[in-house]
Amino acid sequence: MSDKRETTAGGQSGSGLLPGLKAEVEQRDYLSRETLEGIAGQAGLPLSSVYGVASFYAFLPVTRVGRNVIKVCNCLPCDLKDAQGVIGSIKKELGIEPGQTTADGKFTLEMVGCIGACDQAPAMLINDKLYGNLTSEGIAGILKSY
Amino acid sequence: MGNVNVIIDGKKVRVREGSTILEAAEVCGVTIPTFCHIKGLLPTGVCRVCVVEVKGSKTLVGACHTPASEGMIVSTHTPRVVAVRKVIVELMLTGHTGDCVNDPNAENCKLHNLASDYEVGAPRFNVKSPRFYPAEESNPYVRRDLSKCVLCRKCVKACREIARKDVLSIGYRGFRSKVVSGYDEALTAEVCRDCLICIEHCPTGALGKPVKV
Repeated sequence: MSDKRETTAGGQSGSGLLPGLKAEVEQRDYLSRETLEGIAGQAGLPLSSVYGVASFYAFLPVTRVGRNVIKVCNCLPCDLKDAQGVIGSIKKELGIEPGQTTADGKFTLEMVGCIGACDQAPAMLINDKLYGNLTSEGIAGILKSY
Repeated sequence: MGNVNVIIDGKKVRVREGSTILEAAEVCGVTIPTFCHIKGLLPTGVCRVCVVEVKGSKTLVGACHTPASEGMIVSTHTPRVVAVRKVIVELMLTGHTGDCVNDPNAENCKLHNLASDYEVGAPRFNVKSPRFYPAEESNPYVRRDLSKCVLCRKCVKACREIARKDVLSIGYRGFRSKVVSGYDEALTAEVCRDCLICIEHCPTGALGKPVKV
């Protein structure tokens, strides 16, 4: 077994990767190539491996995002409580599709897996703030407050 | 380490403890189909083509990564195994976008060969938006056509464990999963040279030599 394989398979040098990526995201809005190169260098991992980890997680953006990131839960409980209606309302309000950023750079709309707020379905996060029990009608008011 | 005794398709075989079912099967001359496995490297266990039935196990297990244990009774070609394998191949074919029918290299496509071995017809599953990536010709040594890629990870492993270059990884998740190089960039000659080991291992023609015009 090669040493290299062990490190890249999540061995010791890869173990601090997620906290490191999270700390970077808190300081800047997304993980640029330069940022990931720095982290990869420190961890002794190839850039592609670090990018692979970052791109797996919805909360570690690897593309430039707007000033406010809307993460709408796309899982079953939210879906059953008409998340689709809410998503439609956001799309209409902002004129963008999931994965896109508004022209003024104010909002990015993303679909994410469960955000742990099933009791308040349908739910979404705007940046770190949780909005639950959403209705299609209530979306415009929430977005206006930003 | 001691030895373990297992029975595979009725054949008794004694192998070193820690050997996989696949390795044990090889010793006693039983062929189990594999797809994502590269002999001699650590198993990946992602394609599930090598699933077999183990007596006492509720689910089928992957032969390439399950260690043989004392007294294990393995069946490699029961109707249940074959039926499951068929669907597995069908699912992989579904994600295997590309013009294989008209492709001169299609006969080299191990997925198509496997599909014909198991008499898998056209996949039943509808895909809302097929995975499509433009073919990439930015590297003078490797042509990448990721629409054909079925994410078996052989290239990632070959690059990492055989070539010791570690250029490739799996990025994104779920349906968007993709083999990425660097910051999901084109595979340039700067990072990837002419060892061609990944091409050798790619079962689907997603990696190939550049087409000379």
